[in-house]
Amino acid sequence: MASDPNRLNLDNVWSRIGWGTMAGLFIVFFLIGFFVLGRVQQNGPLLGSWAAFCRAVGLTANSEPASEPQPPRRTPTRIAWTPQILARVASGNEKHGAIVALTCAGCHGQHGVSSIALFPTLAGMNPEVIYKQLDDFRSNKRLWGGMNAIASVLSEQDSADVAAHFAHQPGGLLPVAGEGVPESGRSLRQHEPGVHLVFAGDPAREIPPCAACHGPDAQKLGAPPLRGQHPEYIEGQLAAFAQGMRQNDINEQMRVIAHELTPDEMHALALYYGKAVSHD
Amino acid sequence: MHRSSRLAIFHYWVAFATFLPAVLLGAWQMLMRSPLPAPLDDTAAYYASVTLHGTAMAYVVTTFFIMGFGYAVTATSLGRPIRGMAAAWIGFAVCLVGTVMAVVPILAGRASVLYTFYPPLLGSGWFYGGAFLLIGGSMVWVALMILNMAAWKRDNPGVPVPLPMFAITATAILWAWAAAGVLLELVCILLPRAFGWSDLIDAALGRTLFSVTLHAIVYFWLMPAYIAYYTLVPRAAGGRLYSDTMGRLTFIMFLVFSLPVGLHHLFMDPEHGSGFKFLQSALTFGVVLPTLLTVFSISASLEIAGRVRGGRGLLGWIPALPWEEPMVLAVGLSLVMLGLGGFGGLINMSFAMNSMIHNTSWVTAHFHLIFGGAVVIMYFAIAYEMWPRITGKPLHSRRLARAQLWLWFWGMLITTIPWHITGLMGQPRRVAAFDYSDPLMARMGPLVIISVIGGLLLLLSAILLIIILARSHFGPVERSEPFGYAIAVNPPVRVPAALNGFGLWTAIVSVLMILAYGYPIGQFFFLKQHSVPAITSLPESGRRP
Repeated sequence: MASDPNRLNLDNVWSRIGWGTMAGLFIVFFLIGFFVLGRVQQNGPLLGSWAAFCRAVGLTANSEPASEPQPPRRTPTRIAWTPQILARVASGNEKHGAIVALTCAGCHGQHGVSSIALFPTLAGMNPEVIYKQLDDFRSNKRLWGGMNAIASVLSEQDSADVAAHFAHQPGGLLPVAGEGVPESGRSLRQHEPGVHLVFAGDPAREIPPCAACHGPDAQKLGAPPLRGQHPEYIEGQLAAFAQGMRQNDINEQMRVIAHELTPDEMHALALYYGKAVSHD
Repeated sequence: MHRSSRLAIFHYWVAFATFLPAVLLGAWQMLMRSPLPAPLDDTAAYYASVTLHGTAMAYVVTTFFIMGFGYAVTATSLGRPIRGMAAAWIGFAVCLVGTVMAVVPILAGRASVLYTFYPPLLGSGWFYGGAFLLIGGSMVWVALMILNMAAWKRDNPGVPVPLPMFAITATAILWAWAAAGVLLELVCILLPRAFGWSDLIDAALGRTLFSVTLHAIVYFWLMPAYIAYYTLVPRAAGGRLYSDTMGRLTFIMFLVFSLPVGLHHLFMDPEHGSGFKFLQSALTFGVVLPTLLTVFSISASLEIAGRVRGGRGLLGWIPALPWEEPMVLAVGLSLVMLGLGGFGGLINMSFAMNSMIHNTSWVTAHFHLIFGGAVVIMYFAIAYEMWPRITGKPLHSRRLARAQLWLWFWGMLITTIPWHITGLMGQPRRVAAFDYSDPLMARMGPLVIISVIGGLLLLLSAILLIIILARSHFGPVERSEPFGYAIAVNPPVRVPAALNGFGLWTAIVSVLMILAYGYPIGQFFFLKQHSVPAITSLPESGRRP
């Protein structure tokens, strides 16, 4: 209490014991905590005394999390579906595109209907897809010797023009009807594995229905319509996605899906979409 | 003396009347967390219930019980009426008003922020206001304890302050220090935000201030149990206290080592550096000294009693003790729980090992075993000892009282041992519902069900406690020997000034607090802004999966 006359008098033995013990404990713990333990890092060299002290009081020059050298970041494509890109695609000039398309006819056929299974039919493909693929070839995000060379000499406006040209050529890919609701006979009750995958996917393997993006029911931006494409081409691209040879799908969705597919399923899917040609 | 008794008994009644419903809530919470079906299966109700259970047990039961105990100790150990009776009743009324103010918003579901408040969670301003009145009102008691001891020393120069009074004053000073943290948090951070005077809430500073309270408050709860160990148990066992000086040293060391240590509750918080966490973790270990000193002194005191009663041989004094006395039985059970819980606590307070069990049910298990077990069982024993003496009505049934203590002991062990294990398995605390179909959780299911059984035993024991106290209270008046304290083997004749007052120790605590908390609190005033928007609405209520 305040009446205690000896309370701060160091001649008193109890004062000496009290202050001495507390000072001793404090100094020992302080030195250990601030200058010994603070120097130790889990997987690194010992820190210096000043660095250890700063760490002990919670201040550090570099408050970023510890990092290891990271491989350079790889993006699958340069294209994002921004209003600017979409406006540029929409600005494509069909007439100029027809002139640019003369270069394409050798492989992709007159009017973009390819007669060789190795090369995809372009007629009827939506212009965003053609524009993006040309840009991916130009930036080497998608690799295919001849196309990388050709795309590198096309300007962005050329790409938009040629995309507009092929999009309006008839006789190629079947347009996506956008029916939305599966017709009778195309639903989950399908027993044919390929058709079942197209309309129902396989939730157990996290495979969405192909039709949700590639038609015939619905169309997502950046996904090509497939009905009427060469089956061999479709199967080849699925295999390329599955093996990581092709990596320009923006959200890695095709690589993930194709990785889950068996070769038989890829074949069945290619036949389903390819067969649509023979109906016409 | 009659007026002092009335004061104590009113405090006791509020404490025990709050105790029973709070135990009921605890049992229901365990049912909610278990795979078994629970009535009122609602997660929002769970968090409101955790808040109410925590607030009732941590603030209401303890504060009222300890205040009542303090008044009783002051009157009986000094042998004269309490000075400042009117202030004591005003303090009682303020605390009671605060309790009601805090409980109503919790019941309304407007303050499910748990008793540790957890900013940036934000509840109703009435809740914080109530908590402020309850804790602030108890400062009247703190002042009265200090004043009564000082007045007695003035009137009795050179005479040692009786150990019970010395210890209860240590408790009061400890509580003043401890309460400073939470009172500052309430006044500076929570109340201004709750009443809309500020937009943001400095969560990191709030948590740091609460950590000042969070560990010392536990010792505040613990002190009455230790006072009973030293001053009531040896007499109840029919012996003498082994050493009066050891008692004084113990209470002084509790005062010093319980305060600059609260950062060990914030080991996982990013706002403090590792140096201060280690420093306070290491200082926490200082509490080993008074604890071991107490175990030694009490064992020695009991051995004296056992040998006086005819115990022979190395351990023959143990069965010779009067185990039929509730106080003696309680101290035995209490020390077992203190030992088990204490070893668990060593893991909590270790800077590195804590990360294994941080915020798991291990922590809940630890403080239920120490506080709910070792401490509260001594509260029961104190009530059984004091009730008859201050009301003049004998204990209704000693057999029933012993049954109640045993039930509480087994209930607490059956509850907390499974919690320790599920905590090591990673079960988080303070979570309303678990998906026991998850393989990770499924193996915890049987353990959680066992702990529910323990909870039911505890509920049974709490009901029994109220029955015993009520039947004693309304029973016939009989003459009984006056209340008294244990006499030491060598009663103190002259004690050094340092062991007869708290001036030196308060000075040491002040310096230690500045060294240990000065920078951790001060940094918030010169480092970058830590305030964040408050979270005023809790997730939607819902049924368990």
